[in-house]
Amino acid sequence: MPPGTVFGILGPNGSGKTTLLSIILDVLSADQGNFLWFGEQSSPEQRKKIGSLLETPNFYHYLSAVNNLKITNSISGRGDAEMMLAVLEKVKLYERRNSRFSTYSLGMKQRLAIAAALLGDPKVLVLDEPTNGLDPVGIAEIRDLIMELSKKGHTIIMASHLLDEVEKVCTHVAILKKGTLITTGDVNDVLVDDDLVEISAADMNALSSVIKNYSNNIKITRDGNLLHLILPKGTAKLDDINNYCFSKGIVLNHLLFKKKRLEAKFFELTNN
Amino acid sequence: MFHIAKTEWLKIKRYPAFWWVMGITALTYPGINYMFHSVYNNITEKDTQKGKILKMLIGNPFSFPEAWHTVAYFSSIFVFIPAIVVIMLITNEYTYKTSRQNIIDGWSRNEFMLAKMIDVLLLTVIVTVLFAIVAFIIGYTNTDDHTVSHWNMSYYTGLFALQTFSQLSIAFTVGLLVRKSFIALAIFTFYFIIVEPIAVNVLKIKFNSEAGQFLPLEISQKLLPKPAFIGRLDEAGYQASLIAVKYHVGYTLALVALTWLFCFWLYKKRDL
Repeated sequence: MPPGTVFGILGPNGSGKTTLLSIILDVLSADQGNFLWFGEQSSPEQRKKIGSLLETPNFYHYLSAVNNLKITNSISGRGDAEMMLAVLEKVKLYERRNSRFSTYSLGMKQRLAIAAALLGDPKVLVLDEPTNGLDPVGIAEIRDLIMELSKKGHTIIMASHLLDEVEKVCTHVAILKKGTLITTGDVNDVLVDDDLVEISAADMNALSSVIKNYSNNIKITRDGNLLHLILPKGTAKLDDINNYCFSKGIVLNHLLFKKKRLEAKFFELTNN
Repeated sequence: MFHIAKTEWLKIKRYPAFWWVMGITALTYPGINYMFHSVYNNITEKDTQKGKILKMLIGNPFSFPEAWHTVAYFSSIFVFIPAIVVIMLITNEYTYKTSRQNIIDGWSRNEFMLAKMIDVLLLTVIVTVLFAIVAFIIGYTNTDDHTVSHWNMSYYTGLFALQTFSQLSIAFTVGLLVRKSFIALAIFTFYFIIVEPIAVNVLKIKFNSEAGQFLPLEISQKLLPKPAFIGRLDEAGYQASLIAVKYHVGYTLALVALTWLFCFWLYKKRDL
């Protein structure tokens, strides 16, 4: 993983995202294979330098946020008393810092886990589904936070099944399916978006036969009263399509440009 | 080592169950001894011939130096009370998934297990101190002849500590194996109160075998033989049980070592 990147690990449920992160954090032992942290074999000393959130927020239920962070600090050596308050402020838990963990909502628990990972400003962060349980505002905040950390040069390894999330924040991506790496690389290379255009006319059959000849690189699928045109990225020009149909005697009653085909790409990669 | 102990103290010091159980222990030790003391007084203080003979025969088991022995014996019956905390301290780590988080944050598996061993040692020290205070007060208030050495049999404090540590270690192992607090508590209590005492007696009576003395709890039970006033009913047996103590110190130390070796091995081997 190149330093300073936001590396997204994508895959459907059960594809092995958390298992992979558990292996690199020494929670599970691998059947085979190897990995290095900072160019060296994994060790507890190296884990101390990494801020991690694995699967669920794991804290002592009877302790407050501050007292839980004291334990994180005592084990990892990351951060100090002042920094604990700073990270709690950052994840908006400062007001509730003295409440027991058991009284927190799911979103607050997740925020505390993020605060613990941020403690001591570690250079590397491992975040497993960091926006789990957060409301839309919370999701946007975490996304901004990740981007901010990335700008500061932190390396972030993030597992997610939320494509939107990955697409917005990740620079690199790996796609897993049933424990197998399907593809990996720069997010723009792996998740190339094709252009998607939706069109419709009164006579769908006529439209269907006419549009076939619009371009050599066109793929057409029909969805009820809509035709989906898939064109290579950046080649869909709505006025051209409209003009072309009109010149062939067809008046469009629906013409919509849909840039994202990320979801379709993801299904394509993980379903076959 | 100091760092690990400090971290454990952060976990324990605000754990309500810990203070509850310590409070209950602080009440039961004087309570049970006071109860037997009252029974003894009721019998011996009667101005009957029988009472006088009995007093002459068995002396006062609650005066120095025998008080150390008597109080140790009665107090040790209640080892299942601190065992509750020991079991909770390990099963909590599984319930809250903090055993996994501690490793992620940078402890090695050995450090985690060492931390738990420190917990058991800490509890052993606390209940031993409680015992010693109770034994001293009971001994002091019941000793008329203060020319008798108060400390003559205070080595029972050491035997009490070893027995407590050994039995709490077994409770810990059950917690580590089962991982669910209530099931672990039920298994340990059922085994402690019912299974082993029956097994020891069945072996002794039915099979005329002394093999029962090597059962996990009985091994250390033999460190604190029945107090003189009960034991003297069978003088030969009483003397034999006193002689057996030194052997059982060795057996118990070996059992403690085996117990912890097993725990370290299991935790290292197991996925978290």
